[in-house]
Amino acid sequence: MDKGIVLFAHNNRQIDYAKMSILTAKLANKNLKVPVSLITDPSTVSWMKESKTFSIAAEVFHKIIITERPEDNNMRNFGDGKSYSAAPFSNGNRFNVWDLTPYKRTLLIDTDFLILSDNLNKYWDVDSDLLISPRYNDIIGEDRTGYLDTHISETGLEMYWATTVMFTKNEYTKTFFDLVDHVKQKYKMFSDVYRFNPIIYRNDIAFSIAKHIMNGYQQIDEYDLPDVFSVTDKDVLYEVENNTLKFLINYKDSNIAASVKDKDVHVMNKFSIIRNYDKLMELAE
Amino acid sequence: MNFGYLIIVSEKPETNYSRLAYALALSIKNTQKEGYDKVALVINDKKHIENFTSTWVFDEIIEWSGAEHWDGRSYMDQLSPWDHTVCLDADMLFLRDYSHWVEYFIKNSELYIANKSFTYRGEEVNDTYYRKCFIANELPNFYSFYTFFVKNSKLATEFFNLQREIISNPTEFSNNFLDRYKPKIIGTDEAFALASKILDITDDISYPLDFPRVVHMKGMIQNWPYPAENCFDHIGFYFNKSGKLKLGNFEQNDIVHYVEKDKVNLETINILEEIAWKKN
Repeated sequence: MDKGIVLFAHNNRQIDYAKMSILTAKLANKNLKVPVSLITDPSTVSWMKESKTFSIAAEVFHKIIITERPEDNNMRNFGDGKSYSAAPFSNGNRFNVWDLTPYKRTLLIDTDFLILSDNLNKYWDVDSDLLISPRYNDIIGEDRTGYLDTHISETGLEMYWATTVMFTKNEYTKTFFDLVDHVKQKYKMFSDVYRFNPIIYRNDIAFSIAKHIMNGYQQIDEYDLPDVFSVTDKDVLYEVENNTLKFLINYKDSNIAASVKDKDVHVMNKFSIIRNYDKLMELAE
Repeated sequence: MNFGYLIIVSEKPETNYSRLAYALALSIKNTQKEGYDKVALVINDKKHIENFTSTWVFDEIIEWSGAEHWDGRSYMDQLSPWDHTVCLDADMLFLRDYSHWVEYFIKNSELYIANKSFTYRGEEVNDTYYRKCFIANELPNFYSFYTFFVKNSKLATEFFNLQREIISNPTEFSNNFLDRYKPKIIGTDEAFALASKILDITDDISYPLDFPRVVHMKGMIQNWPYPAENCFDHIGFYFNKSGKLKLGNFEQNDIVHYVEKDKVNLETINILEEIAWKKN
């Protein structure tokens, strides 16, 4: 196949990424009209079968590619408005996308990135082998954006957001993803060299470093994907109505309402997505 | 035509500017193409460079003690032996061939003064921490660290004459023209900017261009989330045997104005000398 979207889903005990991936795939299918494939692992597939989502997934996805679950020891807090719960976070195998994708040109997206427009269709034919989002774009704006949302460290690189990545399968991108793997393997060493906090492995950081190295250790002007328009996990998606996502946004210790329509959005509060799953699925019909 | 770079230093017992000028001259010889690699040094006492191994990197050495410290630079138009000159600060390093910039200036300008600088990460400096006098008094944002001029041009002569007046009479000019924010000292940048404003020639001598690109390593303008007096308390200065420089994680390709004088030491000099010897 010439082009398509790839999602990764490795469930943990708190979050059903596989279920989310069905929604994300359906939204992407509807708005971008390209096939979507899922990369997952045997235990997640077992759960999909047990929870009766596998048959839906089999219809929605162009391919379901089963690989080993990454052996990450990443624990992180998953926010849901004001509450948090800790869970393992298995996302350390993104670099495998180059080997596993069935497409010549691939758009890799996170399962919490909801495609509500056809904006990303503009990028399939851009003359660049590798496109990544260069910026985080908070729904509130710069007021709520910390320095470490835009840089991997205080004195270090600007941070790319691996939430959306588009690439053409060739030698250049093979080298790039091999480099991402290398950064992951030597994450502590790279944290010393690039002076970031290594406590949690972040694809965003590994991708940023790999890009920096591939660009000759420089910040250069080049084609990028659009900014990742984001709603944090401190915010709550409380309603989906008339093709509009309505959020309660945590801002300066109070809540303000905001809505998103016809615009791709990274909803970091995964519990919110699951709570509004049926309504969001209607949006994807 | 002849073209050359000009470096003006005034040594005191406690300073070592001549070593910085020597490093800069070596880096020019190592990176610029023939015809664009001439260097003239103006120094108050030649004995300061007697111990350097390769003084041949200075094509002209002019002993002159007409002014102290940086005030000497206000005489650059009179001191330069070249028809076309770029006057540089001594604490800079060249890292690749910039002769195409010079070709442009020779063809298009009588006088050009840099009007922007960059962080080590390649971002244009927009922090105004060191530019309060400029902002308050609406002076053009000049950086004298890279100044191109044609000797004896009417425009350049008028400009340099006025800025010398300003340097020589700082109180009068401060009181009359910089009253909204008086600088402690009128340095070359301020004098250049004020002279340009009084003569109303800013658009002629510092119009927008993508070059010269100079990385300015003063602490407070690096777009960091915290204040920093000395950049190198926070990032490394990595100068390798090939004469390539990394600041922090960033490979440098533009002219680097490193500011902290201890960054050029005997080891740096040895590397630059070795490259120069191999090249010549």
